[in-house]
Amino acid sequence: MPTIRNWYKTIYHKLFHLDDRLLLIIAGSIAGICSGLAAVALRLSLESVLEWLHGFRHYGWAFIIPAIGALLSSLYLEKIAREGAGHGVPEVIYSVSRYGGLLRFRSSYSRLISSFLTIGSGGSAGPEAPVVMSGSAIGSSLAKFLGLNDRQRITLVGCGTAGAIASIFNAPIAGLVFSIEVILGEWKFVNIIPIAIAAVAGAQVSQAIIPEQVIFNHQPFLVGASDILPSLCLAVVTAMISVLFTKVLRQTGKIAKKSSFPLWVRAVVGGCTVGIIGIFMPVVLGEGYHFIQSMISGTFSMSVFFIFVAVFAKIFATAMTLGWGGSGGIFAPCLLIGSLTGIVFHKALFSLFPTIGCASEGAYALLGMTGLISGVMQAPLTGIFLIVEITGGYETILPLIVVSSISSTMSHYIEPASFYFKELIERGQFLRPGTDARILSDLNIRELIETEFIKVSENMVFRKFIEIIKTSGQNFYPVIEDGTGEYKGVIQISAIRKYALDPGMYDMIFLNQIMDTGMMTASLENDLQEVLDMMDINNMDSISVVENDRFIGMILKTRILDLYRRELIMQTSVH
Amino acid sequence: MNYKLLHIFRNTPFGRETFLQSLYFCKTINAFPVAYIPKSDKFLMYFPNDAVQVDLDHSYLKAPGTAKSHAEDLFNEMDIKPMFYEPKNFTASSLPDIPTNFDYLCCPRSVSDLSSKIGLGHIGPKVRRIIKHATFPILITSPVFKPWKSISVFFGGSKNALNALKLGVKIAMSSGFSLDIYTLLEKQDEAYYRDLIKHEGLTEPVSQLSKQWHFYKQSDFDTMLYDVPHNSLIVLGAYGHGIIKDFLLGSKMEKVQSTVTNNLLITGPYCSIPLQ
Repeated sequence: MPTIRNWYKTIYHKLFHLDDRLLLIIAGSIAGICSGLAAVALRLSLESVLEWLHGFRHYGWAFIIPAIGALLSSLYLEKIAREGAGHGVPEVIYSVSRYGGLLRFRSSYSRLISSFLTIGSGGSAGPEAPVVMSGSAIGSSLAKFLGLNDRQRITLVGCGTAGAIASIFNAPIAGLVFSIEVILGEWKFVNIIPIAIAAVAGAQVSQAIIPEQVIFNHQPFLVGASDILPSLCLAVVTAMISVLFTKVLRQTGKIAKKSSFPLWVRAVVGGCTVGIIGIFMPVVLGEGYHFIQSMISGTFSMSVFFIFVAVFAKIFATAMTLGWGGSGGIFAPCLLIGSLTGIVFHKALFSLFPTIGCASEGAYALLGMTGLISGVMQAPLTGIFLIVEITGGYETILPLIVVSSISSTMSHYIEPASFYFKELIERGQFLRPGTDARILSDLNIRELIETEFIKVSENMVFRKFIEIIKTSGQNFYPVIEDGTGEYKGVIQISAIRKYALDPGMYDMIFLNQIMDTGMMTASLENDLQEVLDMMDINNMDSISVVENDRFIGMILKTRILDLYRRELIMQTSVH
Repeated sequence: MNYKLLHIFRNTPFGRETFLQSLYFCKTINAFPVAYIPKSDKFLMYFPNDAVQVDLDHSYLKAPGTAKSHAEDLFNEMDIKPMFYEPKNFTASSLPDIPTNFDYLCCPRSVSDLSSKIGLGHIGPKVRRIIKHATFPILITSPVFKPWKSISVFFGGSKNALNALKLGVKIAMSSGFSLDIYTLLEKQDEAYYRDLIKHEGLTEPVSQLSKQWHFYKQSDFDTMLYDVPHNSLIVLGAYGHGIIKDFLLGSKMEKVQSTVTNNLLITGPYCSIPLQ
């Protein structure tokens, strides 16, 4: 055994420790393949169950099918997997920004099962967020298994995400961009190569297993200069729809949380609502890839009025599914709502200007999808590259950039936080690398504390104190109780000048008479942001740290600045 | 030093017993107990290389209205200033993060297995994972409040056992209670173990604090367990072997905890105990 262990250690060191890029490339490929397999498994199982249930949809009682799925999904998540409902992407972002990408292993399969139950039964949600969660957890678990550090683990989380998205859409660049733009939030050289390889590996897995079942077939579109102005108008429309979608999703979720019903009851209510809408408008059911494909290829046959209504019906159905206890993501609903919006816009354009020579309905469906993704996720690059890969060329790149940039900018102006980030921002936990909040959260309050301080007794006579300050450079002196060592207050040199200049007082006063007992103190429980807030509010340059009535040390602003700079340099360095 | 122990409070008679035990532990070694009254049935602990979700059974959420006052009463009964932990960070809205920078954690024998919540029971997978990843010692209390009056260290010579010995020495120094060391002679003789602690610079504190060093033949494991005083705090290391050895032979610590009713203080593989 020891010999094998020594061999392993030697090989591991020789291969990976000298340059961890090789390790990350190999581990990233494995993460990409595994997450790709997870994504393919979910897709195939969803297709099978949706096809099987399609035969029952014409029955009157079919509206309860999504309710049963949502019920099972909520019970599974709450009672078996013991995880919260929802899509899970904020959880991944939170883990990456605060805990070096540590995720529970159970997350690698729990969301796949719950979203299969929700979406498979007809719930209005997408499978992308669950596969992102699953891929991230696979990457994180692999990093744990290999004993990698935080930075390497974060890269593997990104690899898992990229592999999953690349696999589900057969779009490796979109996977890479989504992973970096939304999940990691930083474009670092060391991350890009492993994530790109993981994305390619994920896409290859999908192509190898289901080569004939690419979600969206590559379709070239003829887009010309005459489409620029309509694209601008479409961008404004998609921005409005994006903001509406985000607000409805959040408000519906809040209403559900306020209700006193248990989660499973809420899930049933949400499922029934979606089921009833689905009877009149089947386009809202499931992930909707089939409808999106028919819209892109121009074979979608619905009247403009119904398509217009379907936009809002899909928004409402998605909000009822995800807000009321179902499981799934918003990526596919964004694509569907976006394509419906694009088609409505195209039809309206042609009815107003019948002679206008602009691109086909399918092209506008794609532009609408870009607008929605860019608006809701505020991830413009993801929107652009996803559609570029779907169309298989760069013919539409100019209007895509126009729609994407305007939609994301307008949405950001109206709703500053994207759907994925909103929850984290509200909790004060949106900590992107290199930002002030992230640096402060990464600094440990214990390493900021200066402990080399002379403490003085509360019963010390002032003359003795004068002797101490003659030989010490301290500006603050913590005062403690004799015997117990309890912290009583602090003496600030600038505050006792009047006594120091009057030698007649030296033998007349004791330190407990002149110490400041009201000065604010911090404790080891406070995080650095709280400490800084206390110092700012009270205009202090230093603050005493007191724990269990014992003086621990002091935090000085100069020390914070030193460590802040060190951390900033570390976080923003190229490697 | 400001050592802190985190106790997950359970507002039941069984929870009262374990809390009293934590309070007694803290009072004896001059540490500060911090009670966490859960508001949801699960929480997450992020260790350096793992995220452990602890699923609590519903007894932890019983009578939330009286939980705090009951805990305060117990604090007051032991003449300790009440301190409560309120989570600041949440991974999800119903999933708080509990920090892992405490010096000790009181962990019931199982936090998620209803069948074994009273009595000795077996260590659940969550407790096992907490011990395996914690950088601090874990206190597993006796099922009923039982003040301990001595310290017994199980020393088998491994790295974990050395940590346990250091911890036992620290606890003996801070509590003033006597220390006994118990060693099962598995492959080596007595001199080997004495050399081991000499090499670690522990000879002097051990000779000052230790009442007796008991050596047993390998087959006398059960005799050794019986010889440990019933009112002694047992300090021992856990999960020091590899996965395969643990799987094939089982964990010695788990055998100890399912056999004796003493309070156990366990040091896991990532636990580091400085003597100062």
